Amino acid sequence: MGIVKFFYKDDCPNCPMAKKLVANLKGKDVEVLDFNVETADGLAEASFYSVKALPTIVVEDGSDNEIGEWRGIVPGMEEVLEIVSRA
Amino acid sequence: MTETTDLNLFVRTSEETLSGWDRERIVDAMMRETLIDHDTAAAISKDVEALIRKSGIKVVTAPLIREMVNARLIEKGLENARKMHTRLGMPIYDVDTLILHPNKENANVPHGPEATNLTLAERIKKEYALLTVFSQDVSDAHMNGDIHLHDLGFIDRPYCSGQSLEYIKKFGLDLPHSLSMAKPAKHPEVLLAHLVKFAAALQSHFAGAIGWDAVNIFFAPYLEGMSDNDVKQLAQMLIFEFSQQAVARGGQAIFTDINLYWEIPKHFVDVPAIGPGGKFMGKTYGDYEREAQRFVWKLFEVYKEGDGAGRPFFFPKPLVHITEKFFKTDGYMDFLDLISDVASDKGNTYFVFDRGETAKISECCRLSFKLDEHDLQDAKEPWRMRYCALQNVSLNLPRVAYMAEQDDTSLFNLLTERFMLAVKAHKEKRTFIERLLSAGEDGPLALLTMNRDGMPYLRMNKASHLVGMVGLNEMVQIHTGEQMHESKRALKFGLKILAHMNLLADKMQRQEGMRLVLEQTPAESTSYRFARLDMRYYSPTSGRVVKGDVASGEVYYTNSTHLNVSVPMNPIERVMNEGLFHPLIEAGSISHVWIGESQPSKGAIADFVLKTFRHTSSDQIAFSPEFTTCNKCHRTSRGLQDTCAFCGSYEVDGITRITGYFTKVSSWNKGKLGELKDRYRNGEYFAEVEEKKAAVG
Repeated sequence: MGIVKFFYKDDCPNCPMAKKLVANLKGKDVEVLDFNVETADGLAEASFYSVKALPTIVVEDGSDNEIGEWRGIVPGMEEVLEIVSRA
Repeated sequence: MTETTDLNLFVRTSEETLSGWDRERIVDAMMRETLIDHDTAAAISKDVEALIRKSGIKVVTAPLIREMVNARLIEKGLENARKMHTRLGMPIYDVDTLILHPNKENANVPHGPEATNLTLAERIKKEYALLTVFSQDVSDAHMNGDIHLHDLGFIDRPYCSGQSLEYIKKFGLDLPHSLSMAKPAKHPEVLLAHLVKFAAALQSHFAGAIGWDAVNIFFAPYLEGMSDNDVKQLAQMLIFEFSQQAVARGGQAIFTDINLYWEIPKHFVDVPAIGPGGKFMGKTYGDYEREAQRFVWKLFEVYKEGDGAGRPFFFPKPLVHITEKFFKTDGYMDFLDLISDVASDKGNTYFVFDRGETAKISECCRLSFKLDEHDLQDAKEPWRMRYCALQNVSLNLPRVAYMAEQDDTSLFNLLTERFMLAVKAHKEKRTFIERLLSAGEDGPLALLTMNRDGMPYLRMNKASHLVGMVGLNEMVQIHTGEQMHESKRALKFGLKILAHMNLLADKMQRQEGMRLVLEQTPAESTSYRFARLDMRYYSPTSGRVVKGDVASGEVYYTNSTHLNVSVPMNPIERVMNEGLFHPLIEAGSISHVWIGESQPSKGAIADFVLKTFRHTSSDQIAFSPEFTTCNKCHRTSRGLQDTCAFCGSYEVDGITRITGYFTKVSSWNKGKLGELKDRYRNGEYFAEVEEKKAAVG
């Protein structure tokens, strides 16, 4: 199963919607790592992935290869699940 | 008690006279310079007089008397008074050495009487700064190497700046204290003359580089109707004027950056153009695209030719801005080929990437300024676009790691403490500069207070305060056991350190109301200084971590956030990984691609530039070839050689980029020489690129 990395910050307009998606993903036992870009860890990870827009969601396989990404937009649940299951 | 007039003694005073002994002068000095009471001062003066009488000397110097007074002040426990009564200066031995031997702290300053004057003045101003401008904790931190206060010898000036040609186009040249006044130029050669004079005047009011925005665009209205030959001539004049050694700051060349564009950037397209006589032309800068392009083309033709001996020009440094609009502008590919050709052949070109919708003006090769809403308003009257940094304070990152002893909490706490100290230093420098500025056009910074457009020339509300860093790579190495290129984990840790500093800068900015930004310190001498000091205080660990050669003393820390320069890494990978740090460094960053003696094709360079723009977050790149110039036959060959490739002479000197500018290797400090030996040259990568291209046909 793939790992989902979710990048957000407290006052970004689309982040609440993305947070709902992420909560649903966790409910389906998908491994999700949250990164608040207003913390050093979050900002560092966001820099590693060259995150420029929020929210951003990146999916990686078990070998750290990127297999999906949505930058500045909120994808549908099914879309993400489909990518995650490919890993 | 004998009367003082009985003492048959002469004093060599600081006014270059011989005066008769007068005890009252000692009292006067103490009363003027310190806060002690008259009775104590009188008592001390009598003690000193008695000591001199007892010694039997016939001629004393003012400095000697002063030190005798200082000794008495210490004995009485009056340390504060002693501090205020301090004399600044240098021993005769040191002055002698200085006059005879070159000082290598700044590779841009040639040895000579002006340079010696500069060093002597800087020494005094440095001491002054550490004793009176900065508080004790800040000064101590600088002296022991926890932080570095850049350009202390220029304490009475701001650091570096970005300027606009529009100012002198509109207002002419009318500087405070100048002997004559010039109306706005009508002809491009005169505009150039004004520019050079203004640059020299500005140079004496700033410590660092002066960047000029959109030079080819602002010259464009003056070039209409000129032949190609005449435009080329003007380009030649501009480059030669700025590349010759001048009398700026100790005899060095005026440290100048010119910012150039192929396209007319969005924020200037609709701006009314100023032309000959300082008059509005009835057109906008968008209408002058062809002329601006012609001029920048000719500039690069001159760069390609090099100077009279075929060597690269050291100054002015051309920074070419590449925005999204570049790729939609006719002829961009041909222009990219030309500037790539120059990059490969001579190394001059700086490729600055202004991605997305953010407008940026570069002040100098490292410092850039993102334009906010208000600045974009200013862009409609470009003569207002004047920016500066007041000071740069750099943190010794490896030192923090030594002290933290692998404990994360300690590391981040110490880093925060150092950062706060830097902020304190900034506030102190700002207070001092404000004091100098408050004297207005009668004061020491008259030029910066002149007001022709409703506001002082130096816009304090727009001033930046830079926090730089040295040795991130070594910090990560000490703390995690790996250098940043050795694992993803190490690289991410480096990013975390920088993210922490970035968030701190943001927080402090809001709290203090000061523009605090991170900068990639060029660290010409700082990386050497920090390494040496850490060898002294943190051996044996530092001995295993510093780069270069410990035995010869050519030691250094890796500059700012760069990866280890010696690693044989694919340059695209290096630029990509270093680029991850760039968005966190608001004041601008650069990645270097060392090419040594190889000369990649312009196509290979252009390709590399395009890849960098499209696929990385890199702010800026520069390619650095190396040359050997012969002092005997005056010819220049490629690569760093021990003898001249033409005449075989040993009287040769190397030329390449030290940090952000080209200079002769003989003027480099030991740390930079160590780094030069270590630099991995990317000849192989470009050779392979050419082979692949040839195979594909």
